[in-house]
Formats: sequence, C-alpha cells, structure tokens
Amino acid sequence: MSARPHRVAGKRLKRIDGLGKVTGKYVYASDFALPGMLFGKILRSDEAHARIVRLDVSRALALPGVRTVLTAKDIAPIRFGTAIRDRTVFAAEVVRFRGEAIAAVAATSLEIAEAAVRAIEVEYEPLPAVFDIEEALKPGAPLVHPGWSDYQALPVFDREGNVSGRSAMAGGDVEAGFAQSYRVYEHHFTTQPVHPGYTEPRTAIASWDGNGDVSVWCNTQLPFDMKNLLAEVLDLPASKVRVVVPGIGGGFGGKLRVGVEHIAAWLARRSNRPVKVMTTSEEELTDAYPRQPTVITLKTGVSEDGLLLAREARVLLDCGAYANSGPATAAIALQIVAGPYRTPNFSYESVAIYTNKGATGSFRAPAGPMGNFAVESQIDLIADDLGIDPLELRLRNVYREGDKGPAGDVLTSVSIEDSLRRAADAIGWKDRRPGPGRGKGLACSWWLTTGGSSGVYVKINPDGTVTVVSGAVELGSGAMTGAAQILAEELGVDLTDITATDVDTNLSPYDYGAQGSRTAFSVGNACIAAAKDLRRQIAELVAPIWGVAPETIRLEDKGVTSGNNRLSLAEVAALSQRTGGGLISHGTSIQPMPVFDPTRVKNHPLPAWTSHSFHTHAVDLSVDEVTGEVSINRYVVAQDVGFAINPTYIEGQIEGGVAQGIGQALSEEIVYDGGRVSNANLTDYKMPTMMDMPRVECILIEKPSVNGPYGAKGVGEPPCIQPPAAIANAIAAATGVRIQALPITAEKIALARAQDED
Amino acid sequence: MTRQPLALTINGEIHDVMIEPHWSLLHVLRHELGLTGTKENCLEAECGVCTVLLDGKAVNSCILLAEQARGRSIVTIEGLGDPEHLHPLQAAFIEHGAVQCGYCIPGMILSAKSFLDERPGRVPSEAEVREALSGTLCRCTGYQKIVDAVIAAARQMSARPEAARRAP
Repeated sequence: MSARPHRVAGKRLKRIDGLGKVTGKYVYASDFALPGMLFGKILRSDEAHARIVRLDVSRALALPGVRTVLTAKDIAPIRFGTAIRDRTVFAAEVVRFRGEAIAAVAATSLEIAEAAVRAIEVEYEPLPAVFDIEEALKPGAPLVHPGWSDYQALPVFDREGNVSGRSAMAGGDVEAGFAQSYRVYEHHFTTQPVHPGYTEPRTAIASWDGNGDVSVWCNTQLPFDMKNLLAEVLDLPASKVRVVVPGIGGGFGGKLRVGVEHIAAWLARRSNRPVKVMTTSEEELTDAYPRQPTVITLKTGVSEDGLLLAREARVLLDCGAYANSGPATAAIALQIVAGPYRTPNFSYESVAIYTNKGATGSFRAPAGPMGNFAVESQIDLIADDLGIDPLELRLRNVYREGDKGPAGDVLTSVSIEDSLRRAADAIGWKDRRPGPGRGKGLACSWWLTTGGSSGVYVKINPDGTVTVVSGAVELGSGAMTGAAQILAEELGVDLTDITATDVDTNLSPYDYGAQGSRTAFSVGNACIAAAKDLRRQIAELVAPIWGVAPETIRLEDKGVTSGNNRLSLAEVAALSQRTGGGLISHGTSIQPMPVFDPTRVKNHPLPAWTSHSFHTHAVDLSVDEVTGEVSINRYVVAQDVGFAINPTYIEGQIEGGVAQGIGQALSEEIVYDGGRVSNANLTDYKMPTMMDMPRVECILIEKPSVNGPYGAKGVGEPPCIQPPAAIANAIAAATGVRIQALPITAEKIALARAQDED
Repeated sequence: MTRQPLALTINGEIHDVMIEPHWSLLHVLRHELGLTGTKENCLEAECGVCTVLLDGKAVNSCILLAEQARGRSIVTIEGLGDPEHLHPLQAAFIEHGAVQCGYCIPGMILSAKSFLDERPGRVPSEAEVREALSGTLCRCTGYQKIVDAVIAAARQMSARPEAARRAP
C-alpha cells in the first residue's frame, strides 16, 4: 500500500469511456459491419429430445440471396465444452433440448435468411426426455448423453450417466456433531433459472482473409478463451484465429462462453463472405447461459445458544442439456452453503445433472444466490425457533480473522461482523416489525476475487498521454477506469491522460478475462507492475543526463523530477523515442493460491478462495395484505471492498447487482412447460424496471486485502447474492409466511397466507 | 421487393433513402444510414434501447415503420450533442456515474429528454422520473444513478434553458 494519500485512486472520477457512450459514438459488437457482409440465422429444434430422421435444406438453398446453408454434416465433427466436451456446433443426429441449433443460413439479408430457415425441412423421432433433476438421477431415467463416458472432460469432476459432475467437502465428524446438537433442522429450498439480461444481444461478425486466417468481432467476456474455442471447432491452429471485442453491452457472466461466434465463423468460411449473426430475445431465453435451477437440502445442528455444530448439505443443480460451467458452479455452491460461518463438523455434496432443457452458465456469482437463499433462510428459521434474534445468531457464528474456511485455508481480512453490524444499524434492526405487513430482513455472505493472470502493455506517448493495451474487456462495470486510476496514481498523471484500447487477441497481452470480480483487481496489479518498470526505464534514461542516482527519480505532476531537475513526461517520452524506441512496458500479475487441506475436498476445481470479500444486505419492505405484492421501502448493502478505487462505480455495481438479485427474488423466471420455455420474450420474462427498484444505500467497508491493488477486493459479483434471502427473511418477518421456492411472487405469498388462514 | 423513395429528416438534415415498405425506422437508421447510436435488442418495444424522438416525443423505433416518419422530425442520440457540446442530460449521465455498459443509455437519454421537454422549467420528482422512464430496461445500474442524473439535468435545464436548446 502506498503511504502517501492517493491523488487519483479512491476518487469519484468520471469513467474513461463515458463520452462515447452518451453520444452514441461508442461502437458495440452489434454495431459493427463489414462491406459485403451476409446475415446469418439459425434453425433451432422444436423437440426437447429427438432423433433427426430427415433434414432437407434444398428448398432453403434454392432461395435467391441464400449463399450457404450448413448442418452438422457440412462442418468438422468436433465436440467442445468448458468442463466436458459434450456439445457440437450443430446437433448431429440427436437434439437434446428445444432450441438447440440444427442448421444455419447465410443470406444477403436477414429477411432472406429467416425465410430460408423456415424452408428447411426437419423430421424428428421423439425420444424419452427428462426435465426434472430428481427424476434424472433415478435408475432407468432417460440418458441425456448415452455416450457420456466417451467424452473428453476435465479429470477433476466425478461423472456418471446424467451426473455431469459431483463435488464434496467435509471436515470434523458430522454425525457426532448432530448427536451433540440441541436441535437439528432440515429444510428444502428450490431456485429458478434466470437470464443475465444484458441489453446487447450476443453478436458475432466473422471474416476470413486470403491467408486462411479468421477474424471475429464479437461481444465475448473472454476473448482469449474464445480464440482457443474457435480454433478447436474450426480445426485450425490458434494462431489463425483473431478475436476482437469492439465494445460489449453487458455480460454478467452470460457472455463467457461461445454464443454465435462459431456459427458466424463457419458460415463465413463456407460462403467466402463476412457474416454477421445476432441473437433474438427468444433465442436468448431458450439457448443462452442462464443461472442453473437448484434443489438444496440443508440439515443443520445447533447448540442451545445457537452455535452451529454440524451441517450437511446437498445441492442438486440442473445444468440443462450441456454441462458447460454446471459442474464448476455446483462445486462453488459448497462454499456458499458453508456460508461465512464457523461449522466444526460438516459434509457438503453437490451434483450437477443433465436434463433436456437449455444449457446454463456462469451468471454473476455462479451458485451464490441459490446457496445463499438456502443458508440465510435457514439461519432465520433457526433463530425464530430458538427465540434468538437473527442478527445475534449470525454474530455468534460468523468467521473471525484467522479462522479456517471449509477447505482448511486460513482466512484473512475478515470483515463479516462489521458488515452485519453496519447494515443492521442502517436499516434500524431494533425495530424489525415496524407495523402490520411490514418487516425487515438480513442476509450475509462471502465471495472470492477470482485469480488468473493479467498482462498490460503501457505506453507513454510523446504528448505525455498514456495508452493501456490490455486483454481485459470493459464490460461496463468501470473496471478499466479503476485500473486506469491506479495507473494514473502510479505514473503521476491524471485519469484523463489515459486511454485504453479495445481488445484484439493479435495485439493485446493475455488476460484471464472479465469474470469472477477480478478485472480491476488483476489489471490494476498489472498496471502497478507496468508503472514500476516504466519508472526503471525512465530513471535509466534520465539519471545519467542529470548525474543523479536512479533511486532519486520521481514521477509526479506529469513530470520526471530529481531534486531541482525536472522534465515533463512528454519530453522524456519524446527523448526515449529519439534514443531508445520509446517508453513501453509489459506489466503482469497473478494472484497466489492459498494453501488448503486436500483431505477435506473431493472433485473441486476451486477449493480455496482468494481475496475473499464479506457483505451484508438488509431490507425493509411491506407486503400488500390482499394481493401479496411486495414493495421495498429501503435497501441497505454493507460490502467490504478492501479499497474503494472509485466509489461511484462501486456503488453502481452494488445498485445493479441488487436489481438483478431483486429480479431473482421476486419476479424473474425462465418458465419451462416440460421442455418448452413458455415466456421467451421480454414481456413475460419480468426484469425489474425503474419503477420496481428502490434506492440502494451503499456502505463501503475498506478492510484491505493482502493481494489487491492498494488493498482492493473484488466487487462486481457479490451484490446479486443476498437479495433473495434478505427479501425472503423480510417477507417472513412482515407476514409470518416463509417461502422456500424462488421467485417469491405475490401469488405465492397470497396463496401461502390463504393456506395459513385455513 | 420494390423499394420506394423516402426523405427522412434526421437531426435536422434530410436523408433520401430507398426503403422497402415494411422496414422499421430502426432498420433504416442502423442499416441504411449507419446511425448506430440507436441500439437494437428486443425488436418488440419491450426494452427501449431503440428509442428516438419523433417530433420531440420518445418512440420505439423498432416497431415504427420508417414510412410513418415521413415528413416528421427525427432526433437520434447523434443529434443531441457531440463530445464538445454535450446536452445537459448527456453531461449529467457522465457526471452522476449513470453510464455502465452504455447500451441502454442513448434510449434512456432520449426518453428523458422527451419527458423533460413536456414540462419545461419544472424539476420532476423521483417518482415521476421512475414512471416516465420505466419503459427502458437497464441491467447494469439498478437505475438509481440514472434517476439522479435526470433530476440533476432537469435542475440545470430549468435554471439555464439555453444549454438545452442548443441541441435540436
């Protein structure tokens, strides 16, 4: 940490990409176009599980303006997948969910492409399907992937049949813990699939050049992963694939994995023309990467004074027809069901399960809202039963500095008690039921700052400005503005002197990607490293001229100084260009992995968390006596951010995350009727509007992390974790009705009340 | 299909285009004229990212036929203000941290302009802003800083109306 007060870091400065965004000049992937570009459209399955017995594209091919029609037999038969290589670009012989891609068309206009898709003839022979995860686990259930054992997969996951991954964590002696307990509670919770809801549809424009190299402009969060994925499915060396992200209209984890990039690239390859493919809302709600639905069982034993003695948890997670990040999400759920609580005896198991529904993914804080809804609802149920205040019960059990996490890793910078007390104080916890139909609820959690490496090139230009070339995408969070603030701080320049370039995998240094609350953290650390190297370069250049020791060289106020000597940064950059090729550095960062106890962990890719954050949400709401409609009076978040690099955009992350969490709590659900999504449009998929959202009061706690830039911790994902639990707890306080299945619609509340009265 | 000539007045300039009769205004703006500041998402008037001003009123350009804009005045985000001369709404959105990914922002700003222009000289309440702008979805911000920005801009526009009038 820097000893002197910060000049740029920590300040509420304007984001570096704001002007382009308010004037309509900022170019998103969906705005991108190339001369001669064709438009691609995808034919999708009408059946949830069926054999394709006839697929005839001749009528489509005959339409004027159609340049290419592709099916599985026209492209390389390559399987891909995050954890398991279980998916192909187009369904080959069997479709496994309704909405799966079967064929694609490239035509001179979107309308022709749409007409061509309608002209493709498909006949199916339906196969037995399974839509329910508990059914899918039963002996004799239809197998979503009968050939599962032949698939290549990451060895970490334990797989069998419809189980795409099984993970476990255990410590102490859970049976002995239950035997010692004063009371043992068992509850079931269910959560629903929700869509990330980014406003820019997933889009890709692919173009092949004369050397057989392909460039893909797209809105991916992980350009380097995308490059490798495209190389695989196109059967090319990775050096032949270039991925560019012009700009991205939100992601929230929903744009981590391939969307339409592979289809655009294949269409462009076969048609010899650039091809653009963009999803519709219907496609988004039927074939994207929504949050997995879960069924969670928690069994918790406590002492008479409410200390947690033992917990058993079982998380069943519906990953849909293709595993994608389901097995990893199920594994992360184990840390979430542990909660930020000391539990001496525990046994947690999670199972990711295939069904004949759309694939799922890593929506912001994967596993977070589901596991937290279960844990924090149950803490309140236990508190009420024991007659202990829910805040007090939490305070008796939360982690303290130096405690061990479920994997036996030592926890540092633990701030959960502080966040609980501050959120409770702010909401006025002492008056938990202020009036009829009104109640307050709390929920707390913890989360990680994902590791992975980052590289940046930093150039000081001869006009004194600074250019950052990073492989990290600015998703909108302001993370790259945060990293630039750190860089400006280190180089002694203003934030307005810094520009960041778009990501181009041919030019940008590697970055693990805009995921896991890591961008400002990891890119910020890489910027510190780059600045250090630039200071060295500048000292080596200038110190001999002035005849001073290199250690006396300072970068401050857009200049280079030593004693009474001073040159502007612009002059030094120009000098370097004349004599040494210019000032440029490559800074890198990697977060060290904590030590953990492998005997506590089975089949878990991420057993110990790095630079964890702690946070509490508190809500005050009213429930309409007749309709069950919930209106939120106040919403408070106390989140430990380590160091608030830019408080404005941290608040923005919290306010936006709470909105997504409120959506999951109260209104959002991708509704499946068997294998069919019955609300695949934005009228019936109900995301919160401006009228649905309360003001969110943010309390930023700054307990520095060991590894973050200036002590920062990851910020982006946590705010969507607690709203479902905090709201469920407040509804219970307001009405006495406890809903254990998300979303908590007005209808569910009204029905439960009516049943209570019967 | 036969294309027909259409003259559109966009941001004070006349654009002569050849259109197919069923094309939406959004399609013409983005694909024929390259005015991509107007965004594209749901195409059924649910998300609001395609909002433009038609004779000063906010409309969803995705469900408006280009033909329906004949003889009327269209304002898109490109016509509101440039980086050197921002409209007070644009400046306030940046100042208040109301912009994240930015994809909904052109539509949000134009909806706000339409709303504020209907009541010149008045600073709306928070509830009024929330009701007026609830047709545009934003998934990044939770809307709070957008509400703050609109109210701040309204305050500035009522105090200094000339700042808002410079733009079309």
